[in-house]
Amino acid sequence: MTLTAFTLLLPTPHPCVLAIPLFSGKVAAGFPSPADDYVEKTLDLNELLVQKPAATFFVRAQGESMLGVGIHPNDILVVDRSIEAVPGKIVICALNGELTVKRLTRDNEQWQLKAENPNYPDIVIHEELDMVIWGVVTNVIHAL
Amino acid sequence: MQTLIALVDCNNFYVSCERVFRPDLIGKPVAVLSNNDGCVVSRSKEVKDLGIKMGVPVFQIQQLINQHQITLFSSNYTLYADMSSRVMSTLEAFAPSMEVYSIDEAFLDLTGVCHQDSIAYGDLIRKTVVRATGIPVCVGMGPTKTLAKLANFAAKKWCKTGGVLDLSDLVRREKLMRIVPVSEVWGIGSRTTLKLKQLGIHSVWDLATQSSQRIQKQFNIVVAKTVLELNGISCFQLEEISANKQQIVCSRSFGRRLTGYKDLFEAVAEFCSRAAEKLRKQHSVTGCMSIFIRTSPFNSQEPQYQRSATIKLVAATQDTRILITAADRLLKEIFKTGYGYQKCGVQLSQIHSESMPSQCDLFDFTDNDLPKDNRPLMTTIDQINRRFPKAISIAATGFEQSWKPKSERISPRYTTDWQDLVCVK
Repeated sequence: MTLTAFTLLLPTPHPCVLAIPLFSGKVAAGFPSPADDYVEKTLDLNELLVQKPAATFFVRAQGESMLGVGIHPNDILVVDRSIEAVPGKIVICALNGELTVKRLTRDNEQWQLKAENPNYPDIVIHEELDMVIWGVVTNVIHAL
Repeated sequence: MQTLIALVDCNNFYVSCERVFRPDLIGKPVAVLSNNDGCVVSRSKEVKDLGIKMGVPVFQIQQLINQHQITLFSSNYTLYADMSSRVMSTLEAFAPSMEVYSIDEAFLDLTGVCHQDSIAYGDLIRKTVVRATGIPVCVGMGPTKTLAKLANFAAKKWCKTGGVLDLSDLVRREKLMRIVPVSEVWGIGSRTTLKLKQLGIHSVWDLATQSSQRIQKQFNIVVAKTVLELNGISCFQLEEISANKQQIVCSRSFGRRLTGYKDLFEAVAEFCSRAAEKLRKQHSVTGCMSIFIRTSPFNSQEPQYQRSATIKLVAATQDTRILITAADRLLKEIFKTGYGYQKCGVQLSQIHSESMPSQCDLFDFTDNDLPKDNRPLMTTIDQINRRFPKAISIAATGFEQSWKPKSERISPRYTTDWQDLVCVK
C-alpha cells in the first residue's frame, strides 16, 4: 500500500516563523524514505527577508508613486532601519511629519526624493523641508 | 582593569514608541496615560516643560491639555514590549554581559570593551539604537551600577553632555555630586531622603563622603553599600539572569463601576488566567492565592468597601482552572452587594519551581471539587495563545468583559498585527 504524501506544515517553535519543508515526497509504507538523510533544514522566509530582526519593520504601501519599482497599493514593504540610506536606495522618510516611500538620489550635490511614476513630481530636499530618513526598503511583499 | 558599567535608558520611552510611527508628533507635546486613561505615565519634553508632573491625574490638567493641544495616548503595552525587546537586542551587541533592568533600561558591562574613549563608544551605542529602533537613549557610565545610574541622570538632565556621560573621572564625579540632590541616587527613596536631610546630608556628595559603617548603623546595609558604590567600590553585581518572581500580581482598575457578582468574577477569572500564564512562563507553581476587591477611594460620596481573602492551595499548581475555581470560593466569601467596585486583583505567592515535586501530592485525596492539575493541557493552551493571541480562554473569564479598562486613545499595534501596519504614501 502506498500512502499519499503528506505535505508537512510543521508548527514552528517561534510564532511568526513559517518554516516550509525543503523536501516532501511520496513515502512507501514500511520503508524509510531514501531522501530522509538529505533533509537538512527547512526554508524560513524570515531568513530571506529579515537580516536584522530588531531593526526590521513592516509597513503598508499606499498610492501609486512607486509603481515603477513594483510597489503597488496595499503591498507590504520590509524596512530595515539599520541600513544606511545612500543615493539609489528606496527609502521611507518622514516628510513634514508624513511617512512616504521614495527613491533617494543625489545629482550634482542635490539630494532628491524621486517617485517611480512619471505622474508624481520629484521632491527636492532643501533646508526648510522637514525630512527625516526612517529606514531603507529591502523587499516588497505583493499578493497576486 | 578598571570596571566600567553603563546604564542605557530610553528617553520618555512610551512617548518615543508612539512617535516612531507618528513622526508628525515629533516636537509636539505628547503624553501617555496609565491603565484606564487615569494618570500621565510618560511625558514628552514639551509636556515636562509645561510643568506637568509624572502621575498627575488627567482631569487635573484638562485645561493645559486643551490649551496646548497635547496629544494623549492610552498605554499600548503590546507596542512598548515589542519596541523594548528591539532596543534590548540591539544593545546586546555592545557588551559581553547585560542586565535588562526594566522595560526601558539596561546595564551593560563595558569593562575592557572600550579601552580609551568611552564617550565615543557611548555615542556609538546611542546612534545605533536610535537608528535601528527609532528610540532615543542616554548612556551613563561609571565603575559601579550606582554611578552609572547617576551618570545617566546627569546625561538626561544636561543636554550639554550630548546624552553620554562617564563618571570614572574623580574630578568630574565630585563636581556633579556636589550639585545633585541625594534623592536622585539609585535606591534612595523619599523616606531615606527625609532622614538623610535631618542628618544634614543633602547632596550626593554629602552622602558619598559619609563613613559606610556609620550609615549602616543609622540606616541599613543597602544604604551603606550605596555609599561604597558612590565611591567606585562595586557592591551590586550585574544580574544577567532575571530571577524568577516570588510573587505575581495582576490587578487593574475597571472602565466602569461593577456591582454584580458575575461581572466582578469575570474580571477576577481573567486576572487568574493572566497570573497563571506568567507563572507557567517562568516554569513555576504557586501554593497560595489572594484576591482583593475594592471601591474607589477617590470618591468619598460612595459607600466604601474593601476586602481581601487568601487561600492556601492543597497542592501547588499552575493550572488556570484550579486558580479560577479557588478564586470563585474566595470571591464568594468577600463579595457584598450594594457597592460599586472599582478595582480587583489576584496575587500568587509561595512560588516554587515546577520541577520541585509538590509535597502535598501524597495527600491529594482530600480535596475536593477542584480539577486536577493538568500541565500538558495548560502548556498546549499557552502554545496556541502564543500563536493566536487570546484564542483560548477559560469560559469563566467571560466574553463581554465589561470590566475592561478604558483605553480610548490607544494607538494601533504597529509591530505585532498585520492589520495595524503603519501606512506610507
